[in-house]
Parts: sequence; C-alpha cells; structure tokens
Amino acid sequence: MTGNKAAATAVKLARVEVLSAFPVTPQTTITQYLSEFAANGEIKGEFVNAEGELSTQVIVQAASRAGARTFVCTSGPGQLYMHHPMHSTSSSRLPVVMATVHRGNKSMQPDHTDLMSQTWTGWIQLYCENNQEILDTHLMAYKIAEDKRVRLPVAIGYDGYVLSYTAEPVEVPSQKSVDDWLPPYEYQSILPKDYDPATGGRGFGGGGRDPQQGWITHHEALLNALPVIKEINEDFGKVFGRKYGNGLTETYKTEGAEAVMVAMGSLAGTARAAIDNLQADGKPIGLIKLKCYQPFAVEDFKEYGKKFKAIGMIDRNVCLGHGGAGYRLIRNSLYDMDERPKVLQFHAGLAGKEVRVGDFERVGEKILKAAKGDKVSQVEWV
Amino acid sequence: MDELTITPGSACQGCGAALAARLAFKALGPNTIRHGVPCCPDSATMTPRGGGGVFEGGGAALTGTWRALKAKGITDVQVVGFFGDGGTYDIGLQGISAAAERNENIWVITKDNEAYMNTGNQRSSSTPLYAMTSTTPVGSVIKGKQTGKKNIPMIFAAHHVPFVATASVGYPEDLIAKIEYGKTLTGFKMLIIQSPCPVGWRYDPAKTIEVARSAVQTGIWPLYEITDGEKFKLTYKPRELKPVTEYYKPQARFRHVTDEQLAGIQEDTTKNWEKLLKSDELGQLLI
Amino acid sequence: MVVGIRIHGRGGQGAVTASRLLATAAYYDGKFSQAIPMYGTERRGAPVTAYVRVDDVRVRERELVHTPEIVMVLDPLLSTRQTMADDMAEGGLLLLNAAYPPEEVKTGGNIRVATVNATNIALETLRRPITNTAILGAFAKAVGWPKLESIEKAIRKQFSGRIADMNVEAIKRSYDECSEVIPAPVKIAGESEAIAVGGYGVLKDVSSWRVFQPVIDMDKCTGCKNCWIYCPETAIKWTDENKPEIEWRKCKGCGICVNECPVGAIEFKRVEIKNE
Ligand SMILES: Cc1ncc(C[n+]2csc(CCOP(=O)(O)OP(=O)(O)O)c2C)c(N)n1
Ligand code: SF4
Ligand code: SF4
Ligand code: SF4
Ligand SMILES: [Mg+2]
Repeated sequence: MTGNKAAATAVKLARVEVLSAFPVTPQTTITQYLSEFAANGEIKGEFVNAEGELSTQVIVQAASRAGARTFVCTSGPGQLYMHHPMHSTSSSRLPVVMATVHRGNKSMQPDHTDLMSQTWTGWIQLYCENNQEILDTHLMAYKIAEDKRVRLPVAIGYDGYVLSYTAEPVEVPSQKSVDDWLPPYEYQSILPKDYDPATGGRGFGGGGRDPQQGWITHHEALLNALPVIKEINEDFGKVFGRKYGNGLTETYKTEGAEAVMVAMGSLAGTARAAIDNLQADGKPIGLIKLKCYQPFAVEDFKEYGKKFKAIGMIDRNVCLGHGGAGYRLIRNSLYDMDERPKVLQFHAGLAGKEVRVGDFERVGEKILKAAKGDKVSQVEWV
Repeated sequence: MDELTITPGSACQGCGAALAARLAFKALGPNTIRHGVPCCPDSATMTPRGGGGVFEGGGAALTGTWRALKAKGITDVQVVGFFGDGGTYDIGLQGISAAAERNENIWVITKDNEAYMNTGNQRSSSTPLYAMTSTTPVGSVIKGKQTGKKNIPMIFAAHHVPFVATASVGYPEDLIAKIEYGKTLTGFKMLIIQSPCPVGWRYDPAKTIEVARSAVQTGIWPLYEITDGEKFKLTYKPRELKPVTEYYKPQARFRHVTDEQLAGIQEDTTKNWEKLLKSDELGQLLI
Repeated sequence: MVVGIRIHGRGGQGAVTASRLLATAAYYDGKFSQAIPMYGTERRGAPVTAYVRVDDVRVRERELVHTPEIVMVLDPLLSTRQTMADDMAEGGLLLLNAAYPPEEVKTGGNIRVATVNATNIALETLRRPITNTAILGAFAKAVGWPKLESIEKAIRKQFSGRIADMNVEAIKRSYDECSEVIPAPVKIAGESEAIAVGGYGVLKDVSSWRVFQPVIDMDKCTGCKNCWIYCPETAIKWTDENKPEIEWRKCKGCGICVNECPVGAIEFKRVEIKNE
C-alpha cells in the first residue's frame, strides 16, 4: 500500500463526513482513492472536489464548525495557497485533520518547507516515517484534534514520492476496532434553534479587554495538547498494538549511547539503518525521532540533554536567514540547563535530494566527534 | 507564419493541446509575451515568458505585464496567457474575471482538455457531464461526473469584453483567423480551444483531429465569436448536425454512458444549437 | 538477504505498476518489499525509473537502489543501451525486452542477461505496447521468484475482469517465452551514454517514442498539406517541391498524419529496432 492509499484508507476508517481536496502532485492519488471510495459507496461522506486549495480549507473549516468530521489534503504550492484560512481554522479551534504530502517549493520532490511555513498558524504538526505510521497517525489525529482538552486542527506531514508513491506492507485495522476506539465527533450545534445570542456561539477569538487574549489562549491550547498527544499514543498502542515512542519523540537504540542524531519523517527510517551499522562498529550513537514538531516537546529534549553529550539535528528544511527549524527549537530547549550538550545542525534532503545510509553514517561520526570534545563545524549541508 | 513552439515538446503522442499551442503562437507571432500557469503540455515557445506561473494568478500576472508595458508606452505587444481549463475555469477564474471587468489589454487563451491532465486526469469544471476522470470514476454507485460543463465563453461574453471566441484544433484556419482578428482589437480577448487529450479521454492518439472535428460537427463544441458581448457569429455552420453518439462512442471516458443519458445529451445539444442559430441569424447574442 | 531491483521504462509502459506488482507478489511469497517510483509529472513517453527492494525483514531505509542485483527494461530501444547496466552488482541479472536472443545482447559487463519479446506479447495479449506484465512473467522465470501464482494474485488485486485476464495471459506467455539466462556475451562494458527519452519542456530527440512510424508514399501524395498543419510536433516540414518531409527526431509516431491524409498516402509501419 502506498502512503497516499494509507492516508485515504484511514480517512475512510475514521468515517469522515466532509472531505475537500484539489489535486497537486504528490498528494493527488489520495484524492483519487477517496473518489473511488465515494463512487463505490464505501464512504458515505460528502466529497467536494473544489476549484482550488483556498476553497478546500475554507470548506472543511465551515463544515467542521457545523459539526462534521473533516479531512483536507495538499502538497507544496497548494499548502502555501491555503495559508490564510488555516489561521482561522486553528484560532476557531476546529478539529480539522489535514494531510500534507511534502513537496518542496523549489522542486516536485519533498522537503518540509510547505508545512513548516504554516508554523505560525498554530496547528498541531505530526510527521510520519513510513506508510503504517501514516495510517495510524491519521486515526490518532482525529482523537487528538477532537479531544475536549485540545480542540485544535492537526496536520500530518509525510514525504512525497518517498512515502506517497512508495508501496510497502501496511496493516489495516478493522472498521469495528476503529469505530470502538474513535467515537463520533461531539460538537456544539450552530443550528439557529440552538443559538444563544448572548455568547454568539463559540468564541475563542478576542475575549475581554486584552487584544492579545486570542493569541494567549491559542498558544496555551497547543502547549496543553502535549500530554494529551502522549496519552492518545499510549492508548492507541494498547488497542492496536503499535505506538510511536511517547507520541512526541521516540528513541532508537539510545541505551548506552553517548550522542544522538535527531531526524524527522522518512529520513528517520534511513537513519535507523545507519545507526545499526554504526553500533555494529561499536560506535555509541543512537537516534531520536521527532514526531510531533508542533507543539514542541521541550521537556523530552531537556531529558535528552542530560543524557547525551552531543545532539545532531537533521533538518529537511531551512528557515532562510535563520537556520534549521528543529535545530533552533532544540537549542532553545536546552538553554536553561547548567551543563549543555553540543548541538550540531545538518540540513539534508531539501528539494528531495536523496539522503543515503552512508550520509547518515558520516553525520553520526561527526556528532560522536563533537561528543568527544573535538572541534567540528557547527552547520553542514549534507 | 513561423512556427514558434519549440519542438519536440514533452507532450504525449497525439496531444491536442500541443497542437493548440502550435497553432495559437503561429498566429500570434513573435511580438508576444507569454504567461503560463502550471498545466500540461508545458509547451515552450520562442517568445519570452512573463512570469512565475502561479496557478491561481493567471489574470493578475497578465495585468501586471500589460500595465508595465503601458506605463512604458509600449502598446504593440500581445500579452498572452496560455492556460489550461483548470487555470481558466477553476482556480484562476476570479483573477481572470477581474481582468476582464477592467478590460485589460490581454489575451486569455485556454487549451481546454476538459480535466486537470498535468496531475493525471482529475475533473475540472470544464469536464462534461458523465465523463470519467480519476476523481469522477465509474463506481458501483456513482458513474462519472454528475454535473455538466461550465459555459465559460458565455460567462465572459457577459463581461462585455471586446472579443470572446471558441475554437478547435480540428479547424486550424478558423482558429488562426480568430487570433488574427483579435490582434486588431484593444482590450480583453478570450479564446477557448477545445483540445482533445488521448490519454485522459481514452482514444487512439491518431484520432485527435477526428474527435475534435466531431465535437464541432455534432454541436457539442460549436465554433463562434462574440464581439463586445453582443455581436454573435457562428463560424462553422453545418447544414445538419451529426448525432452526438458519433462524438461520444469513440471515447472510452464515456463508455458507461447509457442510451437514455445520450438521448438527454442529444436533446440539450440540439436545443443549444437552435438558440445559437437564432443568435447567428440576428447577429445578436440571445441569452 | 536484501535484493535490489531497478526497472526502466517510459511513461505509458507501466514501469511503476510493474514495480508495485512485483513488490506485492514478493509479499505474497512471504517476503517484505518496498516499491519506489521515480517520476515527475505523469506524461506518456517521459522517463520512468522504479525500484523494488525485497528482503526477509521489514525494509526501513528509504534511499534508492544504487547497486541493483536485477535490472529489468520495459522498452525495446532502451534495451539496446549500455546505460541500463550502469552500477549493477557483480553477476547481476539484466532482463531485457528484446526481439533477439541473449546471445546477441551487446550490453557488456560482468553480468548475466536474458531476453523476452515483451512488446510482441503485449501487442498480442493486450493489443497495446504496455509491456509491464508482458515482462513480469519472464522475471519470475529468469529469477526463480516470485511464484507465478503470486504475480497473478497481485494482478487480480490491481485489475479486474477482462483487463485482469489479458494481463494474466501476458505473464504466462512471458514466463514461457523467456530466454535462458546466460553470462553476458560481451564481457567489457561499453561506453554508457545518458539517455533522454523524455522529460519536461523541450526535448532533443523523441525517435525512441515511436512504436509505429509514418511512411509517406510520394506518388500518392497530392500535396494537400493536411499532415503538415495537424502535426502537433512540427515534425513535418514542407519542401520546395511542395511535398511533406518528416523530421525524424521530432516525430513521436502518434499517427495523426496517417489518419488525416485524405488520399491514404501515409502508412503506419511498425518500427524495427536495430540492435547495435
Ligand atoms: C496552487 C496549486 N495547486 C495545484 C497545483 C498542481 N497542478 C499543477 S497543473 C494542475 C492541473 C492543470 O490542469 P489544467 O489547467 O486543466 O491544465 P492541463 O494540465 O489539463 O493542460 C494542477 C492541479 C499547482 N501547481 N499549484
Ligand atoms: S495528458 Fe493529454 S493534454 Fe497532457 S500532454 Fe498528454 S495528451 Fe496532452
Ligand atoms: S506521426 Fe504524429 S508526430 Fe509523427 S509526423 Fe505524423 S503527426 Fe507528426
Ligand atoms: S496529407 Fe497526404 S496528401 Fe496531403 S500532403 Fe500529407 S501525405 Fe500528401
Ligand atoms: Mg486541462
């Protein structure tokens, strides 16, 4: 099953009620699979093939407000085009779930620019390593987004081509098990008969005299989502037998490691193979997979900061003129510690540039050097 | 008239849209600035490109180029958008409509292959009733597209712009004549060229011209021009229309269409044709 | 043990589907597999490479296959090129769609070769030169896996009805018609040239796209110019003698000119591939 089929299958299992999409490579086949499901009556939801991405986001936003479970998906330029309404989806605290099939803005091939450019819209962002994780993460995303303690939209990022079109075995849970685990979306009615002019319906916007209140509430909601994401990941593991670290980050072979590399999305898979090789050679380095990019797991990284002498962040992005997105967040998390590890920056896989097992091995050796106290360059484009 | 497309291009064998590009740019001539938005085939021409190809921004991009030329006192250059139906009918419609309303001195030429072919044949609002695309598949419950084709030329006629016309790759002389006439006009000009796509419409690539011609001869795609939103002229008038089945049958995208559905299409097509004939007689567009 | 496979073809020949069918069939055989396609926009004739990894354990790495143990070529013209064998593992297997026996393969190196006339099989079973299933049966024969039943099962999962039946027939015939696997007759790899079979934008030469090609009978030709005006690729030049002339590097073999000639002066002939 390809990554896109895994996403479409999860959407079907989640009994989504309103879906909207506009084709763009490499997201397109999700739309096609969903269309087939709809044409065969396998999904009962309303599927709107809209005239552009801006509309797709607004359609699911309004549908979510009206109480429907929703799904939208896009890639690269489409993601950038729908930026504006993404702000109001999240500030209205609507549990929309979106798949972003990464496509770099400078090529068809993937990097994380499309979704990371949306960071300031305040969605939860989860990244996937393989096609099984794509399916599972979509199911978890609905539970997270609709949890009353969260009520935020969730974006699920996975690499175009590398996952979207790559076929590999995926275990599909039964409809019944998903139905049992994921109850229907409970929402506040917007029907005229239920309308209370005194509150004006749901209002998360300004509130009170402080014009900043909307930002404060939204920001806190994201921070408060951290423990809920962990909890839902745990619960998913109990029911379906698969979980992804603690839901925010995952460690791989870090026992006895002196240093770690941090990778996101499909790069983590290749990194695992490199870690196996490095450890087979007696090199004490492990891997941390960063699954939840937003909100950021500051506490996790403080723990890692205590355990490891060097951390190398591999960013499939560059915030131009600033640096790697993950790198900056990790360094920021560690600043208040008395004894900080070395933190190195690697940019890799932008515009879909292939990253090979050997590249990760080299990266690993360099991080280990830094852990030993040797002088190495701070930033590297792999 | 020189060939201005750079060939061979990346289009599939027998691509109608590639022929549309060839004919259109031949007629437009070398004093042309071309804007493209994402679509296939990405026909390259020997004329300069005007912009970065933002899919949703065709009308605005043309406006920017034309206004810059105007500000510099250059008025003899054809500023041409060569878009797909997705770019004109759907994602870019708002901007193109706005440019038409402002009567910008530009061309919007659309190679209409009735779906988003570049991304693998998804429906657009130009996809005709019942056609199978990858987002309007033939399933056990729903079979093909359930709504009809948007009538874009008439929508733009209602903007009262200087020139709106339809064309077909099956009728090159008509296509070229329309562009030559449009070149004499100042203001907004639109040409929609029906451009069969063997891959998406599912027929033998050798039949591209045959399919295009049959669309015209059956009245599915009438050839006409509208000036100033009023003056109407049919530019191809067969004595009698051929039955629509001649157009539908060879295309596998319509394979599932029932006889009853075809009868409905025949009825609508005849009705529309009679209305156009009447407009043609009056020389005045009847709505 | 992990086995890496590289598949070459052109858009329309079904290389991506071949990779998925192969990965699925291997999975039915009880292996773990991964099928990775590499293509830009999905245009007919554009170059397509796909990769398959088959392993006894779940595949985690995401890099492409860089030293394939097996290379399979769906396109007969590509099959004549040394480039197909680039970076192959020592002793690897090169399976070609070719009308000649492996003894005549000119592709050199420390590799083994096998051939099957997949274009013929495809034209006869599917009535189109879509060569993916018409070579997969030969793969099973030459490599020894996946089981023919597994490929059939994968095909029936992907296609249904008559299309599935035709494709199943194609793999069976291809299994039967696959040649012996022999050590490459040419031991030293020749010069490998980059191949531009397609791409985005402007191409240099699309001769390799033609399965059929137009042949003009000048005696019958009346000089009406139909073929010239309708050729999408400007592949027909107009000569001083008022006659058409085909510029071969531009002709994709679409057949429009053949169809539009009012006097039937253009014949559509199957292209013969020279193995040189
Ligand atoms: C904002 C944005 N959304 C989606 C895309 C992906 N995309 C590129 S071309 C295309 C379809 C083009 O269809 P059409 O305009 O009909 O041209 P055709 O390919 O059929 O010639 C799409 C959806 C994009 N490039 N940008
Ligand atoms: S898909 Fe259709 S429109 Fe696109 S290049 Fe091929 S034939 Fe032309
Ligand atoms: S076969 Fe097609 S590309 Fe070749 S000359 Fe004829 S019309 Fe042109
Ligand atoms: S279409 Fe036929 S008759 Fe006319 S110029 Fe071409 S070959 Fe000659
Ligand atoms: Mg189109």
